[in-house]
Amino acid sequence: MAREHLTNDEFFTQLANLFEYTRTKGHGSVYLTQKRMTFDTSSTPPSPTKFADDPLWDTHPEEPLPILIRASNNKSDKKKGTDREHIDKIKLSTLVKPDGLDAFYIRYVDACKVGMTGLKKRDKKKKKTTKKKAAEGETKV
Amino acid sequence: MPYFKTSKEWYEQSSLLLKARPTSTRITSKYSVLKPSSSKIKKRQKYDDKKASRPTEAPRATSPHPPPSTQPQPEEVTVTFTLKTYDPDSGTCLQYETNKGNEVSRLVGNLGKLGRCMAGLPEVIVDLSAPAAEAKVDEGGDVNMGGVAAAGKADAKAGGGGGKKKKKGKK
Repeated sequence: MAREHLTNDEFFTQLANLFEYTRTKGHGSVYLTQKRMTFDTSSTPPSPTKFADDPLWDTHPEEPLPILIRASNNKSDKKKGTDREHIDKIKLSTLVKPDGLDAFYIRYVDACKVGMTGLKKRDKKKKKTTKKKAAEGETKV
Repeated sequence: MPYFKTSKEWYEQSSLLLKARPTSTRITSKYSVLKPSSSKIKKRQKYDDKKASRPTEAPRATSPHPPPSTQPQPEEVTVTFTLKTYDPDSGTCLQYETNKGNEVSRLVGNLGKLGRCMAGLPEVIVDLSAPAAEAKVDEGGDVNMGGVAAAGKADAKAGGGGGKKKKKGKK
């Protein structure tokens, strides 16, 4: 169960692969999760006594904590009578340090944008009309 | 387990939840491509047939009707992007779902902002650094998603100010 966390670079390449995999398969899901990393870090949670004193200790940590990012797909079993194949679960995880958070998310946004194909495109026609209206409004003002 | 109507609402509520319970709260985003079930396909076909058999008198006037070309095929997959903020301690679960591609970059950018709350970084820095990065990403997104070149020109003529204002409102 002890899986190593990937480095951020590796995580992005693997994530791209995961999206590509879903795309070639034609259906399926990709789950992305983020949460605060509190386990096995240098800043340990305070002792129970301190916890009782200050139950909201976690709202103001002494130092910024890293964030755990996970990505996975759905496992599926072979089902008779359908074209469903057996697919193993792919799990990825990486740790993002507080100081690298902004840089990470800029790449993350791009990775998601590239990977999540098939979503509906912007309605061009509708947009044009609203733009016109906006322009008219501006000239009046 | 509410689904919010707007992503802004989801973002505000999620950031409040994160501030209250930063350790236990997690945010899951799901990108899912679903093949329609056989019953769904039947339903869509039925609907299409019904539409085709109906006399088309209304669109004869001025409004040209694009639907026939853009109408989804019965077997077309359903693609959704769902955001879920969940706190197992209190059982709070906040959700937002979209099927629009141009929202993805903004939503994931929001995840970054929420990530700062999660890390316990001060919010003041968010105001200074994050919006700049956000704006850059957004502009890139606009170019990619593509606005038509003509639309871009029109925008430039109308003055960038209006466009920018609008974007801010969306966030």
